Amino acid sequence: MRTAAQGEARSRAWRLWITSGPGLFWIVLFLLIPSGVMLGIAFFTNSDFGSPVLPLSLDSFSQVAGYGILGWSGANFTVLLRSLLQAGVATSVTILLAYPLVFFIVTRPAGLRPVLLLFAIVPSWTNQVVRTYAWMELLNPFAPVSHVAQVLGIIPPHLGLMPGNFAVLVGLSYNYLPYMVVPLYAAAEKLDWTLVEAGRDLYASGARLFFSTVFPQTLPGLLSGIILVGIPAFGDYVVPQLLGGDKAMMLGSLIADQFTFSPDWPYGAALTLIMLVFTCVGLIVFRRLTQRLGGGEGAML
Amino acid sequence: MNAVPRRIQRVLAGISLPVYLLLYAPLSVIAIFSFAPSLGHPGPNVAAYGLLLNDPQVLAALRRSLTLAIGSAILGTMLGTLMGFGLSRFRPAKGGGFWLGTLPSLIIYLPIIMPSLVFGISELIFFNFVHEYTGLLSAGLLTMGIAHVTFQAPYVALVVYARLAGLDPNLFEASQDLYANAVKSFVFLTIPVVRPALIGGFLLAITLSIDDFTISFFTAGPGSVTLPIYIYSAIARKGSSPEINALGSLMIATVIGVALLYYFVTRHRERSNRIPAVA
Amino acid sequence: MTMLKLKLLGASCAAAFVAAAVMLPQGARADQPVLNLFTWSDYIDPAMVKAFEQQCGCKVVETDYDSNSEMEAKLKAGADSQYDVVVPSSYYVARLEAEGLIQPLDHAAIPNFKNLATKFQNPTYDPGDKYSIPYQWGTTGVGYLKDQIKDPAPSWGLLFNPKVNTTYPFTLMSGSGQDTIGAACAYLGYGFACDTKAAWVAAAKLIKETRARKNFAGFVDGEPERDQLKSKLNSAGMVFNGDVATSYADGSGKDIGFFLPKEGTEIWVDTMAIPAHAPNAKLGLAFINFILDAKEGAALSNFNDYSSPNAASQPMLADNLKAELVSPTPADFKLLHFLPPLSGAKLKLFNAIWTAAKQ
Repeated sequence: MRTAAQGEARSRAWRLWITSGPGLFWIVLFLLIPSGVMLGIAFFTNSDFGSPVLPLSLDSFSQVAGYGILGWSGANFTVLLRSLLQAGVATSVTILLAYPLVFFIVTRPAGLRPVLLLFAIVPSWTNQVVRTYAWMELLNPFAPVSHVAQVLGIIPPHLGLMPGNFAVLVGLSYNYLPYMVVPLYAAAEKLDWTLVEAGRDLYASGARLFFSTVFPQTLPGLLSGIILVGIPAFGDYVVPQLLGGDKAMMLGSLIADQFTFSPDWPYGAALTLIMLVFTCVGLIVFRRLTQRLGGGEGAML
Repeated sequence: MNAVPRRIQRVLAGISLPVYLLLYAPLSVIAIFSFAPSLGHPGPNVAAYGLLLNDPQVLAALRRSLTLAIGSAILGTMLGTLMGFGLSRFRPAKGGGFWLGTLPSLIIYLPIIMPSLVFGISELIFFNFVHEYTGLLSAGLLTMGIAHVTFQAPYVALVVYARLAGLDPNLFEASQDLYANAVKSFVFLTIPVVRPALIGGFLLAITLSIDDFTISFFTAGPGSVTLPIYIYSAIARKGSSPEINALGSLMIATVIGVALLYYFVTRHRERSNRIPAVA
Repeated sequence: MTMLKLKLLGASCAAAFVAAAVMLPQGARADQPVLNLFTWSDYIDPAMVKAFEQQCGCKVVETDYDSNSEMEAKLKAGADSQYDVVVPSSYYVARLEAEGLIQPLDHAAIPNFKNLATKFQNPTYDPGDKYSIPYQWGTTGVGYLKDQIKDPAPSWGLLFNPKVNTTYPFTLMSGSGQDTIGAACAYLGYGFACDTKAAWVAAAKLIKETRARKNFAGFVDGEPERDQLKSKLNSAGMVFNGDVATSYADGSGKDIGFFLPKEGTEIWVDTMAIPAHAPNAKLGLAFINFILDAKEGAALSNFNDYSSPNAASQPMLADNLKAELVSPTPADFKLLHFLPPLSGAKLKLFNAIWTAAKQ
């Protein structure tokens, strides 16, 4: 009996590797190993020309911490903080915009809902580069929007709303809004309205009604939305590169510079390690929260 | 929904309509600017479109984008389907411990959660090492394709897995009795059953490939400039130009056209599905 | 990602793909040899590329870059086995050679070498023309918008003195940093070709202060800066003379002004070199020889509006190349300096300072 069960288990395991093996092997070979190599480079010494050479050292990490030839500089911390802040604020903006939008859609007649949702998502189907470019057109120094801002004294004369932190925030929020709308909509569509009706008898005010009956039900959707928006926004490259300029530099551009301009691979790899650590921490925290709240994406692997 | 008072519905609409406007305003600006007067073309004109359609660089970039998308999607779908199928059917019921349970999941999610910048630079360095020591994998469409397959396969696997997870496991038991042979069972039962997911996954893979910029940018070689890379280098360098506006407008128009088409096709299909159900 | 979105996405590309596949044109023939050219943007006339393709029976694939450091970073990341010709500036030649990224040239395959003006032969940056052959030469100066900044004094102060330009957005050059550090050195009185640690550190500190100014718009390379001036994205920055001359010639840069700062600035020679593991070095040599042809050399300058090191080409140059912008006067030459080639520990020190300046 035991051997039969074992044999069955072994044959299942064999079939698992036959079918899933090639794909898994592909990912290991072309992503896991490369990223391992990349992180390994962080522990090498920088050669005269910016290549990684032996001996192993932690020099690149002291560079990451801000120790340079001109003494200590807080610039890297600023960049890290700015990336976190931009991701956080952009996520909040998408939440504030997505809630009314989603509830507007679910309160429409059933036949109209798919098309309304569709048209909230369509802009995200164009390439990210094109979407970001559109904002370059809107926020540059001679665009009407910048003109209005100059006249109102929001920005100094002759400068545009781009490049800068504001432009990056707008770009990130715009690019990732659909990623907040979709999971929130999925949650709102399944909303149990009888709970809301019951709540209406208990609470008078609209805000209290919302936070005690509607909000908890959409929480799983909100948390997946935060993961889908916050994490890619934190590591984004295109938006800060095109809309940011020097003063709004984010971690992505700082990393890329070490590989595409004045090369310094070990330093770039060490910065990458920092980015991955923050990404993983964010992911784990929000996954845990989702699990605790009993949410989950049904068919998760 | 009657649960939401009229007053609040009005507030929701009051916020949502500007949001819709905001979503489309930048895209319309590109479209409007594509007709703007330019050097030697005073007044609103379509000169930029003419320039675009006669630009061999743009056409070559489009051709490469499509080659890359279709080629990588075929392989990505094959690998992804097998992964999704294997993991849903042959993984031990109790999760399978670390080696058969957690590890495959971790590997599959890796390309999805990895920031694309890290993804791209890692591949750049890796392909460089491989090329230096073996002479294989010179950067170009091939390396871009490999990278694309790496992020397409997991998404396809998730789509196929989701489809299979909704099925009755007894179906497979029965088919094994019927066909006796695992390969036959796969060909005659599994493939037809997952076909919608297969097609969806394949199309998703194509979209992911066309949508990607960052990973392509770092894995590209000489003569493998695709459409997103072409647009990016043009705008990072020059800011706006009527030609790029025209190109952007065409891409936006394609997407909106497809969205409308999709909407009418599915509405039609839903209706035709509903009739027999009612009868 | 929900299923809904997946389905929506999927269907979208189905139709897009069908629509686009119809337009699929034919690719290049597979059996043709290919010359992979890695050069600065808008640096060669597409008609000349066509002419070379006809002459060699090959296909030319051109890829562009905007700075020496961008080119160097690409070569380091494996492009030294992908390209057949690169166009580094003179001060980068020794550095690429020390890194093992370029290979010695076979002069037997470049008979047109004799066309080069003697003062461009056997240069100090590459004795015996072992690794590089001059391509074009020019100057780096300050470009600004005439309608916004009225009659500025010809000084680096337009960029570095916070009192001169208080409101208009401006940029500094990106890339290797040698141009920008040199400019800051010149402004501070160390001279443009500074190469001491003390001068570099002082320059880096000035750059850090400049970056903190409200109207500093970022680091932008030479040709992109010219383009951004054209589209008025910013109002002043460091540009190359020929790029400005081209924008005058086609009328797109009427509002751009250009000057060589009185504190001194850069004169450079761009050269052609062959990467260490070029897939088709022979074709690369043929291309170099083609560029050195008297007629082609003139066509090159007439297209990109930079000065030609080719003595045989001089009679065929267009009139606009005789303007002071492209052909500096003897007084101008007093201001012009070559950037020092850096390698070894000195290069490492410079890079550390440049990285710190950008931090």
